[in-house]
Amino acid sequence: CCGPALAGGLQDQAEQFFRSGHTNNWAVLVCTSRFWFNYRHVANTLSVYRSVKRLGIPDSHIVLMLADDMACNPRNPKPATVFSHKNMELNVYGDDVEVDYRSYEVTVENFLRVLTGRIPPSTPRSKRLLSDDRSNILIYMTGHGGNGFLKFQDSEEITNVELADAFEQMWQKRRYNELLFIIDTCQGASMYERFYSPNIMALASSQVGEDSLSHQPDLAIGVHLMDRYTFYVLEFLEEIHPASQTNMNDLFQVCPKSLCVSTPGHRTDLFQRDPQNVLITDFFGSVRKVEITTETVSLDRDVAGFESKFPEEELATEPLKYAEQLPVAQIIHQKPKQKDWHPPGGFILGLWALIIMVFFKTYGIKHMKHVF
Amino acid sequence: MAAPLVLVVLAAVTVRAALYRSSLAVFIAERVEVASPLNAWKRVVEGLALLDLGVSPYSGAIFHETPLVIYLFHFLIEYAELVFMITDVLTAVALYLAIQDFNKVVFKKQKFLIELDKYAPDVAELIQTPMEMHYIPLKVALFYLLNPYTVMSCVAKSTCAINNSVIAFFILATIKGSAFLSAVFLALATYQSLYPLTLFAPALLYLLQRQFIPIKLKSKSFWLYTMQYASLYLCSLVVIICLSFFLLNSWDFIPSVYGFILSVPDLTPNIGLFWYFFAEMFEHFSLFFVCVFQINVFFYTIPLAIKLKEHPVFFMFVQLAIISIFKSYPTVGDVALYMAFLPVWSHLYRFLRNIFILSCVLIFCSFLFPVLWHLWIYAGSANSNFYYAITLTFNIGQILLVSDYFYAFLRREYYLTHGLHLTRQDGTEAMLVLK
Repeated sequence: CCGPALAGGLQDQAEQFFRSGHTNNWAVLVCTSRFWFNYRHVANTLSVYRSVKRLGIPDSHIVLMLADDMACNPRNPKPATVFSHKNMELNVYGDDVEVDYRSYEVTVENFLRVLTGRIPPSTPRSKRLLSDDRSNILIYMTGHGGNGFLKFQDSEEITNVELADAFEQMWQKRRYNELLFIIDTCQGASMYERFYSPNIMALASSQVGEDSLSHQPDLAIGVHLMDRYTFYVLEFLEEIHPASQTNMNDLFQVCPKSLCVSTPGHRTDLFQRDPQNVLITDFFGSVRKVEITTETVSLDRDVAGFESKFPEEELATEPLKYAEQLPVAQIIHQKPKQKDWHPPGGFILGLWALIIMVFFKTYGIKHMKHVF
Repeated sequence: MAAPLVLVVLAAVTVRAALYRSSLAVFIAERVEVASPLNAWKRVVEGLALLDLGVSPYSGAIFHETPLVIYLFHFLIEYAELVFMITDVLTAVALYLAIQDFNKVVFKKQKFLIELDKYAPDVAELIQTPMEMHYIPLKVALFYLLNPYTVMSCVAKSTCAINNSVIAFFILATIKGSAFLSAVFLALATYQSLYPLTLFAPALLYLLQRQFIPIKLKSKSFWLYTMQYASLYLCSLVVIICLSFFLLNSWDFIPSVYGFILSVPDLTPNIGLFWYFFAEMFEHFSLFFVCVFQINVFFYTIPLAIKLKEHPVFFMFVQLAIISIFKSYPTVGDVALYMAFLPVWSHLYRFLRNIFILSCVLIFCSFLFPVLWHLWIYAGSANSNFYYAITLTFNIGQILLVSDYFYAFLRREYYLTHGLHLTRQDGTEAMLVLK
């Protein structure tokens, strides 16, 4: 009764397995500002943390960096809570928040070390980004920024160039399959301008020259609770569940100018796949592709040949095999070149002619007969 | 006199060979007082290695030797220790022969002046006798070869030994009276380290004296001879520089050698005065102070020439001392060269006033150099001020030495012509003061 139609459906489903090419998900969520009045940045980060965890990424795969402790801040009228909606509808702190880098540990150096993996051996596992070349990584950053930089802890900055270089290091070390970079700061689009590594998609809350604005102040707590962009992203993400097929294009539509006042931007030119085909859960969730079937599916080359569907643009590096990175055979068998320098003949001739001339001038020509 | 000289040479060679084989050789070779950026052996080896790799040794700021040194060591690099020992021996022999001749000249002049009754009647004790002058050349060779400074310089294989030998040959040629050879060696010495340019004046004065040409500014023969000597010198200098061009087919060596000596970019501590100043100075003023410091070396030539025109060899000694105190990268090898001349003026001993203090200063500073270096660099409990203080004290000791000998020399000359017991106009005893 099943027949070819079902076989066709199974083939499609099998095909879907290979759509995205990633096998695990990681998230690096960074809040870079401290002090009570930057409550909203911590709330932003914790909201994204909550969504990401809800959609399946476990704490072991999340690196959460919060520059200040709002929940236990002495000025928090509701201790042990961080709210993201006014009227205290949603507490994003809860019992199971695992902050990996807290307070003064959130520095530019630590952030770059987490990304590139250049971490001292004594770092605990929870503080490491142990991604591999089949990891999809979500990087969310929020705080105060400007044209080309993001401020960390009110004392240092990370520039867009540094960030781009860090991502390139990650690409060279095969630390990600695809990267989604979201930034919610003023002039956030400047931070993704300099990316040059492949497979990066970037979203920002505002263009260069625009400020990202905060959403609502809460009169009970006394500060703005969230930024607009992240607020609407959070609303959007609340509707996503692990099996949803919503794609990135919908995420790009979140928070239009009427709601956000600033113009969100995105960058997809470095990304190989069409954003239409990229599921939200590819980055925000840790969806295990498990389907149970009793049918056998024959995987012919076509199914796995999805790579050929993609345009063969020149990448920064083509898919390299590690063995071919260096011409090892050439290097091993290279003999050291013996280049002996000799003074030029003209010089030697000139010098000795001069010496002989001086000799004969001093001692007189009559000595020549003793020489010859 | 040959046998004792040979004995001294043998002793010196043994000392050096023993030190080469010992573990002290490495320690001495890396001391900054002995090896400066200009004449360190490590840099010579580095330059030759660069040349073997096909790169010009003057690219980068490592190698600051002249092309003739490249040529010399290209073939002799395996026998480097022998080369340096032979160089030291040659220097000592040259100084020996030079001082032998000079003694003859001094004695002849003295006899001449006595016969002309130019000396006061009561100066018999001041006149030098052949007896006491007999051993002076040997002492000079001894002072040079067994001076701990020379030995250290040789063990460190610093090319200062080559500089010294060229200057020694120049002195030999001058004292023998050969203007041509003297000009050639002076050109070589200037080519090697630029500062012997100031030795042009004493050499000229000596040669004029030897040719009995009076030094009057209006005299035609004076100018003729000066022009001859100057043109010989300049021509040989130009020839040597052009010849060096043909070694590597580039003029790279001029900024690397002379530019480096004059503009002092490398501020490694040494026993000189430049490094500390320029480490502290703002960029804005460095050009001005470099000019001031460099002029300081050349500045004393003309006044000394005017004062010491009758005594050019003493002038040469003072000039050598001034070069080794004020040059941009002095090392103890330079100090050893002029200290070798001290036996020649041993008859001035009774007039030297500060000999005890300055010998104490020099010896103590020599010992304190490595101590404070260790404290500064390794122990970290001192800083550069300490080391510079010792440098300053050492240089003050040297200046005191030079000025003391200068005073003693002039005082003796004054006594010779005016008598030992000087009286003022009212009959009380007078004292000569150097103003």
